[in-house]
Amino acid sequence: MAEKVTLLFNISFALALASLAAAAADYLFKEKAPRRLTPALLGLCWLALTAGLALLWARLGRPPLANQYESLLTMLWFIFPLSAYFYRRFPVPEALWPAAFAAPVLMGVAGLLDKTARPLMPALRSDWLIFHVLSSMAAYAAFALAAIAAAAALARKKTAEDEELLLRLAKLGFAFLTLGIVTGSVWAETAWGAWWSWDPKETWSLLTWLAYAAALHLRKRGWHAHKFAITLIACFALVLFTYFGVNFLLSGMHSYA
Amino acid sequence: MIKFLSSLKLFFALCLALGGAFIYQTVFNTGPAVYASAWFLALGALLALNIAVCAGGRIKTAAPSFLLIHAGLILVILGSFASRALRFEAELPLRAGAESDRVYAGNAVYQLPFSLKLESFRLDYYGEPTGSLTVMDEGGGKDFPVKEGSVISLPGGAEIKVLRLLRDFGLSPSGEAADKSPYWHNPAAQVEVKAKGTRKKLWFFANFPGMHRSELPFHVFYKLENADIKNFTSAVLVRPAGGAAFSAEISVNKPLRTLGYTVYQTSYDPAEAGYTLLTVARDRGLWLVYAGFAALLAGIFLWLKK
Repeated sequence: MAEKVTLLFNISFALALASLAAAAADYLFKEKAPRRLTPALLGLCWLALTAGLALLWARLGRPPLANQYESLLTMLWFIFPLSAYFYRRFPVPEALWPAAFAAPVLMGVAGLLDKTARPLMPALRSDWLIFHVLSSMAAYAAFALAAIAAAAALARKKTAEDEELLLRLAKLGFAFLTLGIVTGSVWAETAWGAWWSWDPKETWSLLTWLAYAAALHLRKRGWHAHKFAITLIACFALVLFTYFGVNFLLSGMHSYA
Repeated sequence: MIKFLSSLKLFFALCLALGGAFIYQTVFNTGPAVYASAWFLALGALLALNIAVCAGGRIKTAAPSFLLIHAGLILVILGSFASRALRFEAELPLRAGAESDRVYAGNAVYQLPFSLKLESFRLDYYGEPTGSLTVMDEGGGKDFPVKEGSVISLPGGAEIKVLRLLRDFGLSPSGEAADKSPYWHNPAAQVEVKAKGTRKKLWFFANFPGMHRSELPFHVFYKLENADIKNFTSAVLVRPAGGAAFSAEISVNKPLRTLGYTVYQTSYDPAEAGYTLLTVARDRGLWLVYAGFAALLAGIFLWLKK
C-alpha cells in the first residue's frame, strides 16, 4: 500500500506542476485556454492527493496528522477547496493562481521532510488531534492563499480591486486560527494539565493571531489596498516561522508538529 | 484618558510590545521567563482594559459579533489572571499498593480531600516488539530476527545461538539475570558465539550498543523494533474523605476529575515498574477561560457570516 500512496502523491505533484505551468502561461500569454485548464488540473491534483491521504490514513490506522510531513499534506489538502470556493466567488486570477503556486511548492517541501510514520505517542492519542490540527492547517492554508494572492495583486497593481478577496481569505484564516488555538488549549488542559503553558508553538501561534488581529484593525484605520496586501505578506512570515521555524529552531512540547 | 484607553493606537502598541516580549522570550531569553514578570502582567491587564473600554464605548451600537469577540477576549485574559492566582498544582508519586492523600509542590506538602491508592500501573504497547541481531564486519552488516533457541550461521563457520531474551534486564538477589518488569525498558539478548574455535556466552543490550567489540571478530548489535508505547495507565482506588471509595483509571489524555480536582497521569519510572507520578491540579480560573472561548468562537462565527 505504501507504493500506492507514493504513486498517488507523485501523480498529485505532477498535476500540481502542470497547474503551475498553466497558471504561468495564463500570466505570460493572457490566453483563455490556460485559465480554463488551471482549475481542472488543480481539481485532479486534489483528487489524487485526497486518494493518497485516504490510503495513508488506512495504512497508518490513524489520521495522517501526527508529524510535520502529514500535517503539511493536510494543509495542502485545504488549499484546493478554499481556492475553488474563492475563485467561484471572486473570478479573478488572484483567487486561482495562489493554489497553482502553493501546490507544487508545498508538495516539494513535503518531499524534503521526514516521512517516517510512527504510531501516535500517548499525548497525541485523542480526538482533539483531529479538530486542533485540521483547524490549524485550514488557517495556514487560508493565510498562504491570502499572502500569495496579495503578492499577485501587488505585482499586477490590482490590490484595490482584490481587497475584498484578500480580506475574506484573511478573515477565514483568522477564524480557523482562533479555532485551532481554542481547541489546542482545551486539549492541552486534558493532556498536559494546563490550558496554556507558554510552549514556543503556543506563544508563536498567539503572536501570529495578534499580528492578524492588528492587520485587520489597521485596515479599519485606512491601511487599504497595497498597504493591506503588504501587511498580509508580512503576517504570513510569522505563520511560516510558527509552522517551520519553531519546530526546527526552538524546543518545546510541540516537537512532533 | 478614556479615549486613549479605548484607542486602536494603544492596541497596536500593546500588540508590538507583547510580540516583542514573545520573540525575546522564545528566541533570546535564557533567564527567568518574562511571563511571570510584573511588566508582562501589566501589558496583559492593559490589553484587557483597552478591549473593555473600546467595547464598552460601543455597547449600544456595535454588532453582536463585535461584542461577543471582545467580551470573549476579556474573559480569557481575566481567566488567565484567575488561573495564575488561584491554580493549585502538586505532584503525587505513588508505588503499587501505597495510598496517600498528600501531594507535593516544591517543599510544600498539601492534604487532599481524598486519598488515592495505586492498585496497579501498566504500560500498553501497540504490539509485541520484535528483536533482531545485527552482525557487522568489514563486508557490511546483516540483520537476523531473533527468538530464544534460534541459531544464526555466519560465513567462516561462525555461529550465534540465542539463549535468552529479556525485556527489562536486571539481576535477582542471587545474582541471576532476570526481568525486573514486564516492560521493554532494558531489552537484552544472551547469546552464545562460536567463532575461531572459541565459545563465549555474552549479553547484548539494545540500550547500550557497542559492547564486546574487542572480544569478537565481528560487531554484534541487539535492537528492538516496534516498541512504541501506546499509553500508560494507573489503576487507582479513590477514597473521598467521608465518602464511598471507587475505582478509576488515569492515563494520558484521560485524567480523573473528582471533587473539583483533576488528576493527570504525568510520568512513570522505567527503573521501577510499580511506580507512577500523578499531577493533581485545581484551576478555579478555567471556567472563565472556557466561557471566554465560547463567546469568542460564537462571535467569530457571526463575524465570518457578515
